[in-house]
Amino acid sequence: MFGWMNENKSASIAKDRLTIAIMSDRQHLTEFPFMDELKAEIMEVVKKYVGVNNVEIKKEIEGEIEALSIEIELSRD
Amino acid sequence: MGIVIAVISGKGGVGKTTATANLGLGIAMYGKKCIVVDFDIGQRNLDMILGLENRVVYDLVQVMDGEASVRQAVIKSKANDNLHFLAASQTKDKGVLNSEKVKVLVESLKETYEYVILDSPAGIESGFEHTIEFADTAIVIVNPEVSSIRDADRAIGILDAKSQRVKEGEEVRKLLIVNRISAEMVQNGEMLKSEDILDILNITLLGKVPEDKGVIDASNQGKPVILNEKSIAGEAYIRISKRLCGEDIPMKDIESPQTGVFRKFTGMFR
Repeated sequence: MFGWMNENKSASIAKDRLTIAIMSDRQHLTEFPFMDELKAEIMEVVKKYVGVNNVEIKKEIEGEIEALSIEIELSRD
Repeated sequence: MGIVIAVISGKGGVGKTTATANLGLGIAMYGKKCIVVDFDIGQRNLDMILGLENRVVYDLVQVMDGEASVRQAVIKSKANDNLHFLAASQTKDKGVLNSEKVKVLVESLKETYEYVILDSPAGIESGFEHTIEFADTAIVIVNPEVSSIRDADRAIGILDAKSQRVKEGEEVRKLLIVNRISAEMVQNGEMLKSEDILDILNITLLGKVPEDKGVIDASNQGKPVILNEKSIAGEAYIRISKRLCGEDIPMKDIESPQTGVFRKFTGMFR
């Protein structure tokens, strides 16, 4: 009944903004589909030298430069 | 063999622990044997919501490290004998969890309980990943608010990537609870409708929980709101618990003007 009044209300603004933001978030996740394999391989290599718990790879953007930062969590034992 | 349910959210503070406590109790009240496990290592809270903070002797990490048995560590709920509880460790941090230990614990709980509910830490770091890894079902909690919904989508993405079931080519069931709905705001176009949230996140609706002051009152006392027969949030948790136990309970429309003050308001125009 009040549908026509709601067009420019904040809920519909929220829906539009969210739809776009989430689409771009998901794209980011699928940009590097090889990420899990890459992690596993890095882990194997590092394991030859030292114990590893986990490897995290993040994409970072600084100005013009895009970088992958690799964080290797060592195991204590 | 019991089923393992992880209760997750992207953002903190959306009512994840409250939902875990109430669903656990709801399932127990339905007559099923259920355990709720606090996986939020370092930020123990489920004990407070359940009113069991004074009974914690051993915690989850001690059980995983073999310092205590499940039987020693588990605490029985005051409200219902079917509900048991395993506390998070307060002194350690989330880094102590690892896949193998979590798997062993979850497998052993599945043998004793029909429902194993894991209260996940907020965020998407390793503690979260370990909570969802061996779950059959994930219940995603959101508030009808942009940051909570966006973060939930990221959490669902990680669930899809890290779940053991998905890795084995099966599906992990994903269900949504929209928490803290204000019917009045939805009607005024100031709050997202559950249907809109479902469209955006593309998962199945498990239930809608209205905003209810009784929830804080319940946590003050350590008596989950589902025990309060007058509470509308409590009623919602009863419906959701029944759905989780396999009953076909129709979705109640708590977003329309039939509820509370709004009903009186619209009544004037009839």
